[in-house]
Amino acid sequence: MCLAIPMEILGIEGHEARCRHQGVERTVNLFLLADDPPAPGDRVLVHVGYAIQRLRPDEAEAMEATWRAMTRAGTDA
Amino acid sequence: MSQRARERLARIHALAPRRRVRILNVCGGHERSITRAGLRDVLPETVELIPGPGCPVCVCPENVLATAIDRALGDPGVILASFGDMLRVPVLGSNPRTLEGARAAGADVRPVASPVEVRALAEGTDRPVVFLAAGFETTMAPVAAMLAEGVPENLALLLAGRLTWPAVAHLLDGGEAGFEGLIAPGHVATVMGSEQWRFVAEEHGIPTAVAGFSTGDLLAGIEAVLAQMRAGEARLENAYPAAVRPLGNRHARTLLDTVFSVADADWRGIGRLPGSGYALAGEHARRALHPADGPGTGASTTAMPPGCQCSEVVLGRRRPDGCPLYGRACRPDRPVGPCMVSDEGACRIWWEAGIRAGRQARAVD
Repeated sequence: MCLAIPMEILGIEGHEARCRHQGVERTVNLFLLADDPPAPGDRVLVHVGYAIQRLRPDEAEAMEATWRAMTRAGTDA
Repeated sequence: MSQRARERLARIHALAPRRRVRILNVCGGHERSITRAGLRDVLPETVELIPGPGCPVCVCPENVLATAIDRALGDPGVILASFGDMLRVPVLGSNPRTLEGARAAGADVRPVASPVEVRALAEGTDRPVVFLAAGFETTMAPVAAMLAEGVPENLALLLAGRLTWPAVAHLLDGGEAGFEGLIAPGHVATVMGSEQWRFVAEEHGIPTAVAGFSTGDLLAGIEAVLAQMRAGEARLENAYPAAVRPLGNRHARTLLDTVFSVADADWRGIGRLPGSGYALAGEHARRALHPADGPGTGASTTAMPPGCQCSEVVLGRRRPDGCPLYGRACRPDRPVGPCMVSDEGACRIWWEAGIRAGRQARAVD
């Protein structure tokens, strides 16, 4: 249940962001990041529809690459 | 496996301990990644990975589920919403035995994937909506956010929110911990901070690493733990710096502290653990539904079905395939215990990865 997915923010309106992961777009609630609001282009970790943390830019790329590799290998965790 | 992961694996083999060591992974998500990637088959023979208590569905007390079933069937017009896994967990002595069964009997039970959906559900109706919310800190932070942002009057919560570190403290305080290294849960630490796990290393002398969920992230955590063992040290290491900060997400923690209080709580199969549960606090307390308790409620708080070893599995004391019901009476399509229901339950993860009963069946000793 603690599964969280790295997503890229495409656009923000109020506490909601349009985010993308591997071509799939979702609306994500940003309320938990109100102290340090992210911007379009940032990557966030999303759990049950809420962004729970901004990812460090240098690490986020590597994480995305890992996710792509895992998806190709047929795992989703 | 990526080149980087292969290199890590080579370093892990260079660090292989001479005698057997057991590394506990707290989180069901970790167990899923470990099992699906087949990590146990490629690690040194002396390194054993043990799945731990990190499955919120597995530890949700029966009386909470029984209360949810009662409310769904008994309260006129009520809509019962919960994360999907909860709908299939069987309850002893309840009729019907699951929320799914209650739905088949006419109750309005809705699987949801997010608290955002729950709020929308409540906003779109005048009927009472009950949200059965089970989860660890990672999930309770979004539940707190939903409440802090505002929800309509017709929403009530039946809460089974738990804190993870007290379960590990319980294992450590029991004398024989049963593990020599710890992989701490990466997404719990994303919210709560890595510092929460320092006590494991510093008070109990157990090498500890917070890890992420990819194969490479997990190998990084295992390497960090084995390197400490080789050096004869016990430290807290953050092997998931992309997401985890020492103090986590401070705003999320403030919301958790505002919306909830921390109370003693029951863990199914384990018992009552001090300071391990979330309860609605302040202005939100009036939304709390309390589970039926005591004799005559049709469900005990901590019992497991006869023969089910889920409590031993959750405590890392028995491997899933060491349960006599595993794969025989208990399978994902007709589960007996909660560990075979949840996506994060060790039994279901092992079964779906093709691990069959009888093969290497033994207790973790």
